[in-house]
Order: sequence, then structure tokens, then C-alpha cells
Amino acid sequence: MSEKPARPAKAIKLNVINEPKDSYTGGPSSLCPGCGHDQISKVIVAAAWENGIEPHRIAKMSGIGCSSKTPAYYLGQSHGFNTVHGRMPSVTTGAYAVNKDLLYLGVSGDGDSASIGIGQLIHAIRRNVDMVYILENNGVYGLTKGQYSATADIGSKKKKGVVNETQPIDLCALAINLGCSFVARSFSGSKKQLNSLLKAAMSHRGFAFIDVISPCVTFNNNDESLKSYGYVKDNNVTLHVADYIPNRAPMEEIEVPEGHYRDITLHDGSVIRLETISEDHDPTNAVAGLSALHAADADAKHVTGLLYYDGNKPALIDDLGLVDSALIDVDDSTLRPSRETLDKLNAAFLS
Amino acid sequence: MATIANDFTINIATANGTGSQSANLILLQSMFEMGIPVSGKNMFPSNISGLPTWYIVRLSDHGYQAPGDRTHIQVLVNPATWDEDLASLESGSVVIWNSDAKKEMNRDDIISYPVPMSSLARKINPKIAKLVTNIVYVGILAEMLGIDQDALVSALSKQFKGKEKAIELNITALNLGRDYFKDNLSKDDPYVVEAREQTTAKFFIDGNEATALGCHFGGVQMLAWYPITPSSGIAEAIIEYIPQIRTNDEGEATCAVIQAEDELAAAGMVIGAGWAGGRGMTATSGPGISLMQEFIGLAYFAEVPSVFWDVNRVGPSTGLPTRTQQSDISMLYEGSHGDTQHIVLIPGTVEECFEFGWRALDYSERFQTPVFGLSDLDLGMNRWDCAGFTYPEQDMDRGKVVRDREVFEAFEDFGRYLDVDGDGIPYRTLPGSGMDPILYRGTGHNTKGVYSEKPHDYVTLMTRLKDKINGARELLPAPILREEIECEVGVIYLGSMENTIQEIDDILEETGMKVSQCRVRALPMSSQVEDFIRRHETTIVLEINRDGQLWGILRKELPNDLVTKVHSVAYSDGQPPRARIYSDLIKAKLEEVEQ
Repeated sequence: MSEKPARPAKAIKLNVINEPKDSYTGGPSSLCPGCGHDQISKVIVAAAWENGIEPHRIAKMSGIGCSSKTPAYYLGQSHGFNTVHGRMPSVTTGAYAVNKDLLYLGVSGDGDSASIGIGQLIHAIRRNVDMVYILENNGVYGLTKGQYSATADIGSKKKKGVVNETQPIDLCALAINLGCSFVARSFSGSKKQLNSLLKAAMSHRGFAFIDVISPCVTFNNNDESLKSYGYVKDNNVTLHVADYIPNRAPMEEIEVPEGHYRDITLHDGSVIRLETISEDHDPTNAVAGLSALHAADADAKHVTGLLYYDGNKPALIDDLGLVDSALIDVDDSTLRPSRETLDKLNAAFLS
Repeated sequence: MATIANDFTINIATANGTGSQSANLILLQSMFEMGIPVSGKNMFPSNISGLPTWYIVRLSDHGYQAPGDRTHIQVLVNPATWDEDLASLESGSVVIWNSDAKKEMNRDDIISYPVPMSSLARKINPKIAKLVTNIVYVGILAEMLGIDQDALVSALSKQFKGKEKAIELNITALNLGRDYFKDNLSKDDPYVVEAREQTTAKFFIDGNEATALGCHFGGVQMLAWYPITPSSGIAEAIIEYIPQIRTNDEGEATCAVIQAEDELAAAGMVIGAGWAGGRGMTATSGPGISLMQEFIGLAYFAEVPSVFWDVNRVGPSTGLPTRTQQSDISMLYEGSHGDTQHIVLIPGTVEECFEFGWRALDYSERFQTPVFGLSDLDLGMNRWDCAGFTYPEQDMDRGKVVRDREVFEAFEDFGRYLDVDGDGIPYRTLPGSGMDPILYRGTGHNTKGVYSEKPHDYVTLMTRLKDKINGARELLPAPILREEIECEVGVIYLGSMENTIQEIDDILEETGMKVSQCRVRALPMSSQVEDFIRRHETTIVLEINRDGQLWGILRKELPNDLVTKVHSVAYSDGQPPRARIYSDLIKAKLEEVEQ
């Protein structure tokens, strides 16, 4: 039997290191359809591919929660570590201390970062661990079905329960105050902006913090969520409402010109007002960054863009006084001091 | 009067933060240099300055290292504990007391040596009189007991490491004490020191420093730690030795040190280093291990090499932070939620602290699991004699790591958690290698490391983990057995009890019974322990805790017919074990068993 003539190969787009985008994708997502996190995953794939980073040189780090499950959905050729709740920064710090040559890409949620692991986030920033830290921020605990997190805005109301009256923690403001060397806020629907910020963060040496507002399609509903009840009824689904996860289309691409704002209607009908930081903003000025955050907060807006940047801060590895090569590349014979060294120590003790 | 040479206990009562520790170490070292078998115990408070401290020096030609049953010579400097210390002395004891302390000497059944320590010290330098007071009592003791002046000067020089001014000042103070005794007091007591020929050259070192050196000779690459008594000495010694033994010609180190924000972060960093292919470790105590529990379970379940040294102090809770105990055994062995089982190495000597320091790093990579070192405050913070450290006889064991693509390709169907060799230990690849990229996780996973909640996958994984750790039993440091032919009573014990066991044994054998010893040095235990129990009529499990934790582990693991043969003797009051207390408890237990 003669072989079928080969179909002409479809031109596959390659990046600067001749890798197709497929080399950067992961497994299928098991998050709720339409989840903002999945859009962030897509941006991660795109940014890593466009930056031409060898996939195996990336380490995907995460904690526990919806966001922390996502490393399974991108960069399938990279090692990763889905650690424990809120403690991803310490695991990353240890890995980085022995292998400084990987790009550490941490993904975390607001439960991880603003509550249980806020101390670890703070100390990773303080040490200036060389890593990208993406906060997928939706104001609720998704996997435990919708409790408020510490980033929930005052006055916001989720599908079940009372209005949140507790002061939120603004992790961007916190990061700027801690002297974090790269602080940005973005929106999961603003893929273009997020892509630019993420590529910049990947190239940054030091701790790069990106707080990405990433709406929870399932639990962070306010009164408008009655619509989803109707949706359920209309579709004749007999499941209990609380168990039903509506199948929603991903957020449309949102672009806000610099210095402008736009109201975005979320899946559940609630409105978020996004503002892009103005062209005049000086990202090397920490006070300007904080002012922008406070001004936006006063107007019930979320300011996005690169808020603060310091390219001259030494990274943790510079402070450790280590040999040039990564410690995992040092030979065993160098790691273990010689027999003569021990003889000398024994002799010195005896003298 | 007949003299008593090298067989008595000195107790020195001072307040902490007054410099008495230096003076006491000089006293100890000087006798050690005379070849006298001597041991020192520092009973210090959890405080920086002003609270009671006792230093106990035991001289014993038998080589007994535990504090004796009683004090023979009491030095009273601290007014705060004066009355209690004085009241506790047996009739005929010697008391050297500071007659400037404005305290009464209300005992007439003791041998009294009043010394105006404060005014003597003020004569030398009023500004540092408190500091000098301590050397004055060392001078008094030196004259009273006949401690060699050369040995004292040598000990002084070691303590002050070439600081000429300090050495000179202290020699003056020492001689002032000596002269005061000569001129104003007459020796009415029987106690003397006699120089001994040391058969082997030995030095004094504490267990924490020995452990730290062992870790360096295990090529530790990252230390993450959070300060906690009594373990800080391990981390501090690791840091101190880096410039000397872990740097290249440019002074660049091959060991990173990070002081973490808490013990949870320290554990996370250790696991991160292990996951990345490095040798990470931490040193902590019980409260730290409590905080690390979640991470310990992750390292067990995701199979990440990681080394944790626990220098046990008295619990529960904050407990007695500066006192010793063996009460973290169960917590380490079955640490974290869910079914777990961990390798625990338990040194009993400073030589073993060094050896287990490097071995822990090897075992952890070999078995891809957390490995614990279990020391305690007594072993870790007190000085013990040491014949020198032995260089590791084998190369570093980096375990089953696939570093080569050719080797990787040769696997028919690579799975991170696949038991290829039948020993329960799978192969791993490292991040950055490009081979078998998987997402490590603390959630259930199949042999490929992919998330799974399937019953079969879970049971396969948990069974393999059990087999893996069980497979370590005969490969870990074997128990040390000292057996009598009669096999009457066997005593199983562990750790720093090593320093008291011979005295306990001798006291028991005075009654005519024959006592064998079995020192457990690792968990899970070797089958030799079971055989030891089988051979002996009755076995006592001797521990420095309340509940008999090692005994509990044995009862769980022994075959049914042996369970009734093992009996627990467990006691802890925070003090280093005194032989008489434990031998009395053993006698009582044996009587109870016979009835």
C-alpha cells in the first residue's frame, strides 16, 4: 500500500528560540467555565512564549486554592510545586537559594496572599526573592464555596450572605510600602495590558508583584445573581442552585487607554470601574504609586498598570555570599570539606 | 581525715548574665586538662540577666557523666536561691559562700568556707566586680581541691582566646582566691582532685557544634532557621564554620543561610531546596516542629528530601525552655496529619551528633523523605568529651536522581512515583533538567504524579510509602547492644540517656541482677531491637518523658507475644537524668512486674 502523500505542513509560528506556542500550554482547566483565572493562564502561556523562555527553565509555584490549581493548566513542560496554603513563597525561596538559574513563576490567590500566607508574602518581598508573583484576586474563597477574603471591598456583596463591612487589604499598597521592586495591578480581562506587565515582570530581577483582579464567576455575585437563578430555571436544570456552576463565556477583551477609566460589567451583572494609570505616572516614585492607589480607592475605582518599579535593588541571591554557579551545580567533592580539613579541625580541638 | 579523690559533685549557684558561665567552663576545662573524668551541666533560666543559674560539675573516676545524687560542695553566690540551696544540702557538705551577700549561714552541720567574694573582686576592678567574683570562687575551689595552676591558665587562655588583658585580669583574680583560702581558711573537708593519665586524647565539645560540623561534612547547601532555644547553637555553629570550611578562594560560600520569619517558613525553604535538588536543613526544637507539621506531611507525601534537627526541650507548649527532655519522639515519628511515618536519627554522643549530621542528609536523599535528627538540650548544649570526629567513609549518597537524558530515555515508562526497583523508592528528575516535568503536589496522585482520587491510586501510593520507610529499618544506624550472658533484664533506652545508663546499670547490678543495654539510635527500629526483647526475660524501656513514647511505638510494632514483655519506665522533671531516680524506678517496676 502506498503511503498517502504528506499534507503540506501548516506553518507553525515559532518564537525566538524556535519553540511553538504548544510547548508552553498545559492540561485542560477544571475551573468554572469563564473563570478569570483561565484567562490569566492563557496570558502566562503567551507571555512565556513571546519572551522566548525555555519552558524547562521555568518553575511554576503555587499554594492552595482555585488559583493555585492553575499551574496544571499552563507550561506543561515546566516542573512545578503546588505547595501548602499560603506558603508558596518560602518553598520558592528555598528552591531559589540552591538554584538561582530558574525563572520562578508563583501564582497565588487572595486567601493565600492576604490571609494565611500574608507573612510569607511580606518576607519574600523583604528579601527580594527573584520571582514573579501573580495574585489572582477575586475577593472570595472559591474552593470552600464563597467566603469573603481579606481583599473583598467594603460594600461588596457575594451571592450568599451579608454585605462585606470589613476593611480590605490592598496588597499593592502593602508591596510598595515594603519596598517591593516591581508592583503592578491588572485585570484578567485586560489581556493586552497583563501580557505586557507579565513579560516585564519575567524580565525583572527581583520580586515582581502583579495583583490581577480576576472575577469569580460562581461565588462573588451580588443581587444581580438572581439572573443566574433565572438562568438555571430557564435551562430546566434541577440541581440545587448552590451546586450549579453556570457555563459562562470568558470576559471580553477590555482595553482602557492610559489615564482613562471604564466601567466593566461582570458576569453576574456587577460593575467594576477600571482606570489605567496615566502616562505621566512616574513608576520610580513610590509616593506617586501610593497616591494613585488611594485616589482610585476614594473614587471606587481600581487603578491598573505599573505602579512602582526599582531596577537597582539587589536580589536575595546577591546577599547570600555564594559561589557564582547555582549551588545544585557544585560538585559533591566541593560540597563536602576534605579529609585534611577534618584532621585540622580535630587537631585544633585537641590543642 | 581520709581524702575523697575525683568522686564528688560541685554545685555553683549564681545568677545568669553575671559571667559565671565563663568561670564555670574554665573550672571544668582545667580539671579535664588534668585528665580527670569530669562533666558539667548548665542549669540556666529562660532569661537574659538576673535569674538563678546552677552549674553542676561531676567528677567520677567511673566515668559517670550524670549529675550525682547529691551535692558535696556547694558554692553560694546568688542570694535569691541561698536558703533553698542551703536547706537541700546533706549534713557534712562543704559550702563556699559569699560572705558579702548579706545572707545568713544558718547551718552548723556543714563545712563552712566564708569568702568575701565581692570585696575581693572590687579590689581588682570595682567596675567589673560582678564578673570577677566568679573567678574568685574558681580560685578558692582550685586551692581547696588542689587544681593544677598550669591547667587553669591553659583553660583560661582557651576561654578568652588570646585576649591578653582578660587573661591577665582573670589570673590575678584566680590567685586572689587562692591566696584568700591559704591565708584565711583551713581545709577541713576530704575532697581533692587527682590528675589521671588520659589513655586517649580528648577534647570538650557540645552536641550542637558537633551536629553543625556533621552537617557541613554532609555538604549541606541551605540552612533555613528560626532562633529557638536549645537549637540555635546548631545554626550558629553552621554559620560560624562557613568561612573556614565552606568557601572557595574568593571567600564565596557553597552553603546558603536564611534566617526565616518563622518555623513554617524555615520548613518551606528546606522543602523548596530539596525539591530543587539541593541539601536543605533546619534546626529547631519541639515548638518549631509543632509549627512545621503541615509541611512535614507535604514532604512525606510528595517525597521531598528535607532534614530537620530537633533539639528537644521540655514541653508541652512553651514548657521549660531551658530544660531537657525526650518528649518529641512520637511527634517526629508520626508527624503531620494523616498516616505518616518518618525516619528519626537519635545520637547519644557528640561523635554521633557529627556522624548523624551528615548521614541525615544522605538518608533524606536516599529515601526521598523528611529525616529528623533528635538531640536534646542536655546533649546539645552541654560539653561532652570527644575522641575526635571520623571522616565519612562513603561518598555522599544523592539517591535516585536521573540527571542524564540517556538514562531517562532508557526508562520504559517513566513515572515520578513508580516503584521500579521494588524498594518503594521511585526515581526523580530535577526542575530545570527538562526531564519528566511534573507538578509536585500534596494532593493525591498516581504513579505519574498526576492528580488522582482513585481508590487504587491512593492505596498504591500509601502502601509504597509504608514499604519505603520500613525498608530503612536495617539500613539506619543499628542499636548499640551491651549484653550480659544471663539475659535477665534488658534496658532499652535512647539519646542522651547514654550518659547515665552505666551508672544506672551499676546501681541495679549491686542488687545481683544482670542488666543488658540496648540503645536505639534510629526509627523505624531495626529488628535487632525485637530480637533483644525476645532474648531477655523482662525488658524495660527507659525514657526521659512522662508517657513512655518509645515504649508506645514498640507496643504498636512488636508481635503480640512480645508486647507483655516490655515495660515502661518514663520520668522527667526537666533535670538531666540522675541515675538513682531511674534505677529506683526500674527496681519498683520490676517488683511490680514480678507480682
